[in-house]
Amino acid sequence: MDGLGVEAHGVARRFGMVQALGGLDLTVPYGQVTALVGPNGAGKTTLLLILATLLGPDHGVVRIAGHDVRTHPRLARDAVGYMPDTLGVYDQLTVDEYLAFFAEAHGLPKDERPRRIRALLSLVHLDEQLGQPVHALSRGQKQRLGVARALVHRPRVLLLDEPASGLDPRSRVELRDLLRSLAAEGVAVLVSSHILSELEEIADRVVLVDRGRTVGEHAMADLAAATRSRWRVRSLDPGRLMAALAGRADVQPLPGAAEVGPLTEAEAAALLAELVAAGVPVTGLAPASGALESVYLAMTDDRR
Amino acid sequence: MTPQGIGLVARQEIRTRLRTGRWKALLVVWAVLVNGLAMMFRLALEMDDQSDFGHSGVPMFGGVLLAVLILTLLVTPALGAQAINGERERGTLAALQLTRLQPGDIVLGKLLAGWGTGLIVLLLTLPSLLLPVAEGAIGIGRAIVVLLVTGLLIGVSCALALGWSALLARSITAVLMSYLTVFGLLVGTPLLFTIALPFTAAPTGSGYDRDHPERVWWMLAPNPVVVLADAAPRLTRRTVQTPHGTFTESPPNDPLGGISREVRDIREGDKGYIDRNDRDEDAGPVWPYGLAFDLALAGGALWLSARRLRTPMYHVPRGVRVA
Ligand SMILES: Nc1ncnc2c1ncn2[C@@H]1O[C@H](COP(=O)(O)OP(=O)(O)O)[C@@H](O)[C@H]1O
Ligand SMILES: [Mg+2]
Repeated sequence: MDGLGVEAHGVARRFGMVQALGGLDLTVPYGQVTALVGPNGAGKTTLLLILATLLGPDHGVVRIAGHDVRTHPRLARDAVGYMPDTLGVYDQLTVDEYLAFFAEAHGLPKDERPRRIRALLSLVHLDEQLGQPVHALSRGQKQRLGVARALVHRPRVLLLDEPASGLDPRSRVELRDLLRSLAAEGVAVLVSSHILSELEEIADRVVLVDRGRTVGEHAMADLAAATRSRWRVRSLDPGRLMAALAGRADVQPLPGAAEVGPLTEAEAAALLAELVAAGVPVTGLAPASGALESVYLAMTDDRR
Repeated sequence: MTPQGIGLVARQEIRTRLRTGRWKALLVVWAVLVNGLAMMFRLALEMDDQSDFGHSGVPMFGGVLLAVLILTLLVTPALGAQAINGERERGTLAALQLTRLQPGDIVLGKLLAGWGTGLIVLLLTLPSLLLPVAEGAIGIGRAIVVLLVTGLLIGVSCALALGWSALLARSITAVLMSYLTVFGLLVGTPLLFTIALPFTAAPTGSGYDRDHPERVWWMLAPNPVVVLADAAPRLTRRTVQTPHGTFTESPPNDPLGGISREVRDIREGDKGYIDRNDRDEDAGPVWPYGLAFDLALAGGALWLSARRLRTPMYHVPRGVRVA
């Protein structure tokens, strides 16, 4: 699967005195999950609104599935599914009425709608909620209904604004599986979030934004190898561990363990070999924080 | 913009609305209240009736109609003034805008839903409006014309409420502004006319000032009561023989005809003594101007609403959330 679901170059948007986006670049390939990561106020929501054709950019070029949003907003709109951060639903409707309404509004042929709705409900594991009023759904279920709504017209590009916030771990795992399976079918998925540990499992790529600009774009696989993070060493004999680490300046003792670093993966491997050679009974060596978290913290470091 | 799109939005609007409130109960209460009051009004009229000319169905028809017009105009802001900003507040508008529905579909669909509800409200008052028609006091033609005009005026009020709901971010402000608009049309126009009238005074040849209402009559035209009363076809007149000659005379107890004669006199201006009969025949109608003004206002409100729903949004008004 090649080609780009989303291409954005130099996107700028201002709200009064606030420059929400200041020339941001972004690409989202088909068949992959791309994570959009940045602190609050970085402009993630603003960017997603622009990609969803709801908001117009002041400057810059945005193409969705090859259609320029400025010149062909309707073609772009047909190709995009969007789930906003605060999902509004018509509480008075049942789950299937809700989806039927959007299926009709998207112009799906009448005979195709019931099949499409059933397929969507089973995709998001809401089969059993068919006929239930929307207001009776749990937060996680509503979130999945929102994903189903965004997928009603089979978009090739899916945008989700902080879909994982407020979800319990079980719902998050389900959301992750859903997004992975959509990507496997060739959809270009863009997820904004700051729940970093989750993104590491969901995303293939990560785009870091801060103050309305792209500050980094990495493949998840490279990220782990390239970034330096702190590592946690566990040992049966903490005393010997601390003695072996005595020469280093970056050590912080913990109960039954020590934190070292920041180190790259290669440096960590070397440290392990060194400790084992010194006869320290090591039971574990693992990153103290995710690679993404380290990058994120490094990015936001200067604001503290 | 397609009929399917408009219909879809209208059905959705009515469906979600029907399930939120106790609409059926409210409509029943309305029907019982209005028709009950109308019958009591009728009984009171018959108690009082000493005239040999004019059926007591005539004042009943006019009185009930004007009351129904004013009441429905006061109900309609509640039907439309949350239609668009309510969806924005709930966060459902963006999802609509992302479908193939065009701004025109959304606006006209919502107008249709509100207007349809307003027409049902009007329909429920039909028993007491049609009674005088059945009795032969009021011609079928007059009944049809006034019902059509009332229906149109309800549509105007719905469109204005919708316009406010698109323009203002908070639904409570939109409801307030819609009421103020209806109030302005009903009460503000005669008030404005009354204030403006003294300014039209000009000296006459005989040394004192005279008002010229014919210069400011148009201030009264947009008033829904004026439009309705003036649009109603006149009742048949009767001929009276007096020692001074033969006159024709309208039924004296017709509120619609009375208002209509009044505004046409105002439009005609104070021409000194003119034979009452001539004046009645020659004064031009006021209602086409008023209705045209009201319809233009409604059209403008709808156009503005559709503009506000266009995406992508390049200008975001303060306090408006995009999604
Ligand atoms: N409608 C708006 N009016 C004014 N300022 C806004 C509006 N939307 C966003 N902003 C501002 O733009 C900046 C980026 O916001 P947002 O895109 O919501 O960031 P994020 O989603 O990354 O937290 C913030 O400073 C925010 O206050
Ligand atoms: Mg946000």
